[in-house]
Amino acid sequence: MSNVRDRNESAWLLPADGKRVNHQLRQDMRRFDDIDEVDLLVVGCGAGGSTMLQRLARAGWKVVALDAGPFWDPAADWVSDEAGSHHLYWTEPRVISGSDPVPLGSNNSGRGVGGSMVHYAGYTPRFHPSDFETYTRDGVGADWPIDYPELKPYYEAMEEELPVAGEKWPWGDPHSYPYRPHPVGGNGEIFLRGADHLGLTAKVGPVAIVNGRFGNRAHCIYRGFCLQGCKVNAKASPLITHIPDALAHGAEVRANAMVTKIEIDERSGRATGVHYVRDGVPHFQRAAVVVIAGYSIETPRLLLNSACARFPDGLCNDFDQVGRYLMVQGAPQTAGRFDAEVRMYKAPPPEVSTEAFYETDPAKPYKRGFSIQTVSPLPITWAEHVAAQGHWGADLREYMSDYVHWSCLGALCEFLAQPDNRVTLSEQKDRHGLPVAHFSYSQCDNDAALMRAAQSVMEDILHAAGADEVITIDRFAHLVGGARMATDQEEGVVDAECRTFAVPNLYITDGSVLPTQGSANPALTIMAVAARAAERLISTSRRGN
Amino acid sequence: MSSATPPPARPWSGRFPGFDVLDQSSHWDPVTTGVVLARTGMAPDIRFFTPHEQGIATALCDQLLGQHDEPTPVPKVPLVNLIDSRLAEQQTDGWHYDDMPADGQAWRDTLSALDADARQQFDSGFAACSSQQQASLIQAVQDRGTDDWHGLRAKRVWSLWTRYACTAFYSHPSAWSEIGFSGPAYPRGYKNAGVDKLEPFEVHDARPSEDPLRGRRGVQR
Ligand SMILES: Cc1cc2nc3c(=O)[nH]c(=O)nc-3n(C[C@H](O)[C@H](O)[C@H](O)COP(=O)(O)OP(=O)(O)OC[C@H]3O[C@@H](n4cnc5c(N)ncnc54)[C@H](O)[C@@H]3O)c2cc1C
Ligand code: SF4
Repeated sequence: MSNVRDRNESAWLLPADGKRVNHQLRQDMRRFDDIDEVDLLVVGCGAGGSTMLQRLARAGWKVVALDAGPFWDPAADWVSDEAGSHHLYWTEPRVISGSDPVPLGSNNSGRGVGGSMVHYAGYTPRFHPSDFETYTRDGVGADWPIDYPELKPYYEAMEEELPVAGEKWPWGDPHSYPYRPHPVGGNGEIFLRGADHLGLTAKVGPVAIVNGRFGNRAHCIYRGFCLQGCKVNAKASPLITHIPDALAHGAEVRANAMVTKIEIDERSGRATGVHYVRDGVPHFQRAAVVVIAGYSIETPRLLLNSACARFPDGLCNDFDQVGRYLMVQGAPQTAGRFDAEVRMYKAPPPEVSTEAFYETDPAKPYKRGFSIQTVSPLPITWAEHVAAQGHWGADLREYMSDYVHWSCLGALCEFLAQPDNRVTLSEQKDRHGLPVAHFSYSQCDNDAALMRAAQSVMEDILHAAGADEVITIDRFAHLVGGARMATDQEEGVVDAECRTFAVPNLYITDGSVLPTQGSANPALTIMAVAARAAERLISTSRRGN
Repeated sequence: MSSATPPPARPWSGRFPGFDVLDQSSHWDPVTTGVVLARTGMAPDIRFFTPHEQGIATALCDQLLGQHDEPTPVPKVPLVNLIDSRLAEQQTDGWHYDDMPADGQAWRDTLSALDADARQQFDSGFAACSSQQQASLIQAVQDRGTDDWHGLRAKRVWSLWTRYACTAFYSHPSAWSEIGFSGPAYPRGYKNAGVDKLEPFEVHDARPSEDPLRGRRGVQR
């Protein structure tokens, strides 16, 4: 593979003077008019959207990306503080229901240029080859229309671009990482110690946090605020890994632009552009190709809100597939108490993981599996963990004063795709007068069995490390699915190239296209899928066709 | 409670002798400093709650965080002012359960339900009840678990109250000092991460083996 800098110069376009933003690059950014027909327009500047934008800009296409949130300046806009980071989340109204409703906002939804990766933890594992054929192997979930080897070169490319640091990885398709593993803090040390006593393999990484020299990205300072946005530019997000290169190649990023509807020409059945609202003023941007990348809740919502005469039940929804098969991962967190001081806040929360329980174990009554990682909550999140045990008042204060003695692990359990776990439109409207998303979620028996199994392994690890007490809180993490990739239009919304079955010049390149999720954090896979879709689009079409 | 009752022991105080996270504020970046120090200044005016609601919410939140009998001169964290600001600015997480109103309305409805419980049981508004009466009314809500409480699922009400109250309390530097947390860490970062390792400005727990939980019911061993 060619040198990273020749493919993506983002890290070298950042300033080397301690400022976090290349203001000149943003100031000189190309700007299109609404009436210009751009070659390609991207809705949403997160993991999938930014990848698409950068690839197409490099290929010489006239491209613009609209994002509902701000064009962040990490130095001025982000703080080293939990409660002060509220503006990083997507907090427009949404309704949740089902037997296991999934809280949104801070838990899984970002906004602004960089998307949810601005406040993601930073773990960047690959999916395993088995994830692409869970139906064939285990009769659960779904098979992808592509397999692991097709995605592998894009994983490798993305691991260099973020770049990823970690030990040699023994699970799935064994591979190594471009950067050495980071040193670990107290929480990572406890995990490694417990695993060692149990004879369980655990590894440091994989994290998209610079370890060494990479362009003008600064080295991690081990301050533990990764989920509040990295003010240092050490942790990867598209804001610093893909957007600078896209701008340098003539892309426009239009921030604070909320897309409200995709316009379809009733005669040709093609997308002609998007309606959006900026500073309270409605606009229409023309485009030859439209790419939606608003993530698993907003992408289905935008499709459903774009109903028209040709698509009365929502855009691309002729077969009632939009919004379905949305998945979260079961993410119980188990903490253990030590007389020693762990001070888990002193290091990035993502440190150590094990994928030893990832694959289906024929000896177990459930299919598929889970992974375990360090999580290291800061005080407010930790208080939620403690309050969930039922403590309040003096009890809670006393328990909380013990914070420095606790170590905390989190599992990611592969919840299965189910058709009724989905987004529909609510009666409730947002400030633009548009129906908000209603997200219903219920677990199946396999999901619940994985939660229990993961909890007991985490308890074993912590006990083996010397914990005298353990407590668990049940949570959910990540979203994928909702407009999934399939071999035909009765099973999903897009094909293997991320092109919608229903509209030939409409694509979806975000987490919503994933048919399964494994027990890996999804961002790297979302970027790899988007990079593959971009390459296909560039090679198969003349600009805008 | 009669004024003769001595204040209860506060086992959570004094675990990190001499540690005050504000002593480190000169090492914080200016944006973070602005956000954090604003919490230690004058509490924001109440804009969302009515005076009646403010009274109920203050009693409730002080109970939830064990501040109701805080001995003076320890200043309390102004929990209700911080929660009120969030609700006034609609700084919520956005989502709400389909069987609950949005957060602002849910706060109003549940405060008034709590007050109704107090009147029914003790013939007095919640804010005017004794500390023990307030505690028993709060405990009764928690004890309902997933059952209904005034037309809402008690568990969701409990989660609403504790989420907001804990966020307000543990966003405050005095709470960080109490639990030994070092607060903002930019641009300095940490140089000594690892079990039992301290930065020069951190202070060891003075009572490390006085595990407040040891032997508690519900704690797994
Ligand atoms: C707390 C947390 C921790 C996480 N930890 C990890 C982790 O360690 N590893 C990992 O791999 N993943 C992690 N994730 C998940 C990961 O961040 C997401 O899976 C990933 O970013 C999703 O990519 P996406 O492109 O689908 O959407 P996003 O990155 O969310 O981007 C969507 C963008 O679209 C914009 N948008 C939406 N609707 C519209 C509209 N109508 N008009 C204009 N713009 C719109 C939004 O503002 C947003 O910027 C975490 C997430 C959170 C919240
Ligand atoms: S711990 Fe490192 S990667 Fe995480 S926010 Fe701090 S500097 Fe950035």
